[in-house]
Amino acid sequence: MQALRTAASGMSAQQLNVEVISNNIANMNTVGFKRQRAEFQDLLYQQVERAGSQSSSNGNIVPTGVQVGGGVKAGSVYRITEQGTPTLTDNPLDVAIQGKGYLQVLLPSGETAYTRAGNFSTNDQGQIVTEDGYTVQPGITVPQNTTDITISKTGLVQVKLDGQPQPQTIGQLQLATFMNEGGLEQIGDNLLLETAASGAATLAAPGEPGFGVLMQHYTEASNVDAVTEITSLITAQRAYEMNSKVITTADQMLQATSQLRS
Amino acid sequence: MDNALYVGLSRQMTLRRQLDIVANNIANANTTGFKTEDLMVRTEQAKPAKTLDGASPVKFVLDDRVARDFTQGAMTKTGGDFDVAIEGTGFFHVQTAAGDRYTRDGRFTTNPEGQLVTQEGAQVLDDGGGPLLIDPTLGPVSIGKDGTVSQGAVRVGRLGVVRPDDLASMAKDGDNLYRNTANTTLQAAPDARVHQGMLESSNVQPVVEITKLIEIQRAYEGVAKMMDNTAELSRSAVERLGKLN
Repeated sequence: MQALRTAASGMSAQQLNVEVISNNIANMNTVGFKRQRAEFQDLLYQQVERAGSQSSSNGNIVPTGVQVGGGVKAGSVYRITEQGTPTLTDNPLDVAIQGKGYLQVLLPSGETAYTRAGNFSTNDQGQIVTEDGYTVQPGITVPQNTTDITISKTGLVQVKLDGQPQPQTIGQLQLATFMNEGGLEQIGDNLLLETAASGAATLAAPGEPGFGVLMQHYTEASNVDAVTEITSLITAQRAYEMNSKVITTADQMLQATSQLRS
Repeated sequence: MDNALYVGLSRQMTLRRQLDIVANNIANANTTGFKTEDLMVRTEQAKPAKTLDGASPVKFVLDDRVARDFTQGAMTKTGGDFDVAIEGTGFFHVQTAAGDRYTRDGRFTTNPEGQLVTQEGAQVLDDGGGPLLIDPTLGPVSIGKDGTVSQGAVRVGRLGVVRPDDLASMAKDGDNLYRNTANTTLQAAPDARVHQGMLESSNVQPVVEITKLIEIQRAYEGVAKMMDNTAELSRSAVERLGKLN
């Protein structure tokens, strides 16, 4: 019976849905996290031809040839890159991106990763690094006798040194944008990698046309909305239950057939 | 006498097909832009069966058409820049490897060349049948109610929203796509409104589908019971008639 397979496809789709939703909820407080959505598509339709049948239009309900669908499949899990709320942290090395763009991070492998999580700090050599100790690109070293750090909206990093009234420029942060942000590959640790689908990175200083600006002392909160996620979780659970109801019904119908006395 | 069994069997076959369709509706309860379907059956006049007293009519039941309900699905806010939903009758026009296809699933994105594409990479066409090119350096994309795509003050193009003369000519092709089976070309749908940052939910009504499940199951069991009784009738007839006094 096809209904059994169709319902099974529905159950596995809803299971994936729950997995994506639970990942969103788990990352509700992750800096720079972008929520994901699982989207579904119907499977191929089997055409059952019936010759000589008539067609008549009646409002919204439209008669067509007999097509029986085979269920559902996961179409894609994609990120919604909506801006997260900037959260004040008062850490001078925290930067939130307001608008489009990603900060660059050098991985130990030599690859460049991209991130929206601008909660930075310095390492033992004074370099600006991420929470995991990866250096932020282009590399900026904060001198030891620094009393104050300023990161401008356009990414200019200036420091005030002990005993010097004039601020010193020590570096310029850059942002990267992509033709297709959705094509970036997530590798965990709030990092993303460039792929063939995303296209090559375009680098520019923050504030250039098409690029966001930086906000010092802020981090970008996750854009997960708890209420929406919980609602989706309920919907997913009910949908899962309904699919299992289809299996029960199909099973009982098969039972009715097998119990026919011969 | 066997007619009752065959008529019962024809009903059971349509009930099983209807269950397949209801199962598909339920499986797609969360599929963007999905349209509910139901099976329409008709009676099929068969050749009169010969019985002792002459001919008596026999009517079988046959699955005839699928009724597709194109009622508007609820709008769900997603916040995605390239997520668009259509309010009213109309389809987005996309170009797949297999040819022109139509969809109400507006989860679009851009490819590395900057063209607006579906999640599967099929090109989304504008009202003139050409691709829509998004320039990431021009800033945020806004899509107006009439489908006009613009970036700041720059007009990129207008999403092609089309409709057939008769919705019955649209056949489902899987992947949330429809195929046009009629010879006529699709016309622009000027009264269909496009909403950015929204997606159209499936219009499956869970309560209706679960009710249908119960109905199908009870009808199926009823027919099985009827077939059982008919078989019992022939058995007892043979037993009694064959008994020697």
